Amino acid sequence: MAFDQEAVLRRFAQAAEDAHAELTELDQRSGDGDFGDNLRGGLRDAVLRFEKGDGGVSAFGALGEVFLDEVGGTSGPLLGLLFTEIAHALDGTGTDAVAAFGEGAKAGLAAIQRVGEAQVGDRTLVDALAPAVEAVPQGFAAAARAAQEGADRTADLRARRGRASYVGERVKGEPDPGAVGIALFFRTVAEAAGQR
Amino acid sequence: MSLPFHPADGDPVPPALRGFARAHADLVELHEKPAHLVARHRAPARRVGLVSGGGSGHEPLHAGFLGRGMLDAVAPGKVFASPHNKQVLEASRKAAGPAGVIHVVKNYTGDRINFGIAAERLRLEGIEVRRVLVDDDLATESDETATGRRGTGATVVVEKLLGAAADTGLGLDELAALGAEFAAASRSLAVASRAQTSMHTGRPAFDLEAGELEYGVGIHGERAQKTIDRPGTEELVDRMLDELVAGLPEGPEEVLAVVNGMGGTTLLELYGLHDLVAAGLERRGLTLAGELVGTFVPALDMAGFSLTLTWLQPEWKAWWAAPAVTPAFPRTVEEVA
Repeated sequence: MAFDQEAVLRRFAQAAEDAHAELTELDQRSGDGDFGDNLRGGLRDAVLRFEKGDGGVSAFGALGEVFLDEVGGTSGPLLGLLFTEIAHALDGTGTDAVAAFGEGAKAGLAAIQRVGEAQVGDRTLVDALAPAVEAVPQGFAAAARAAQEGADRTADLRARRGRASYVGERVKGEPDPGAVGIALFFRTVAEAAGQR
Repeated sequence: MSLPFHPADGDPVPPALRGFARAHADLVELHEKPAHLVARHRAPARRVGLVSGGGSGHEPLHAGFLGRGMLDAVAPGKVFASPHNKQVLEASRKAAGPAGVIHVVKNYTGDRINFGIAAERLRLEGIEVRRVLVDDDLATESDETATGRRGTGATVVVEKLLGAAADTGLGLDELAALGAEFAAASRSLAVASRAQTSMHTGRPAFDLEAGELEYGVGIHGERAQKTIDRPGTEELVDRMLDELVAGLPEGPEEVLAVVNGMGGTTLLELYGLHDLVAAGLERRGLTLAGELVGTFVPALDMAGFSLTLTWLQPEWKAWWAAPAVTPAFPRTVEEVA
């Protein structure tokens, strides 16, 4: 099945514009309030870099570079690892796109966990990413549902990693903004693939 | 109130990096975007590049240890802040040897994450990376937190021993294992009688009464868990040595000692402290087989000192004695026995 990277990038960028206020408010309760800005800004820059690259860089390649090099906070570069791994997997020839995307996302999850040392249940973006990666073989719609459910579950978790760990019980009841960002990403992937 | 003599335009790090690179142009090369420094010379046998880095404000760490016998490249962050992963990535690309690169990382969350991201990017480029984590600070030993001991004064010991070992042509995994052994055999403890000066207010970052001592202080101006009544210097050194020896795992009877100034402590004091350290180790039946006295891992201009002890395995002695041609390590020729 074809996988339109550019469509994902553009939909994701639009989704980050739409969710900016919500993400900012969530992050103000648990972190330093910059996640909405970082995600939206990173996606705006990634679109620009992709357009300027004029075919020389893939949409996911541009996403990876911008989030690793330019986006602030800790979650920005961690997302960059995910996008870069997916870009590498999609660049490989001969595999079908869903499988390649799944391999890349799996490698991205592994890299994020090696770097950030977070497990499922620590109230981080891993809580949305891990179930989504597991569900990709059932299709993008299943992965999007799994990511959303994972993000929703973070509302009941106490943070053990990341900046939210400093405020402890006070963030319970609201989902982790990084996990919400991951759910947003998988939703746009499913939409771009026409699976929703 | 006493403001430091930084240029007026804010961040003091870029001008200091330029001045440093100018002063040591025979040894190091500065790249500004993103900021990293690279050693100009390395031993021909070295197959693994050694990269370190971390927040600024701890000079001469790490750039002062660039050069033959120690580090190949460094990534300096802003004052007390981790470098960006892009700085570590660029430094590592330039430093990598045919057998890869080792990151010497002090144990702080920001450094772990940023070096970790750079390591993932290097792996994607096909460059092998291993990490040596320095976690020697006895004051942060706790079973209750997952963060572990901070990395402090032992960093210079690890960078020296690992550099000399790398110059013998050892491979990546051998060096990573050795580096972990160097760190595991090291413990440090720091005290302060005055906090470092805040760059913004010109006032000490925290207040201490006369007669008080911050015991177990870190290198970023964070307070220690304990403020104690200041004992006499002899008694203080004795107490610190007791705790360090008790805090180290079992080891040989030969030990390396570092008496490190925290930035605002005179050499007159540090050498006097070293005399007490040497006598104290002898009383405990330990042989002082390596020593280093001076300001190597300070916290800006904090008044205080740290003691580091490292068990010295017999085969490590030659690495400690080997020459290091760097801006700041005080030995450019083989140590004479």
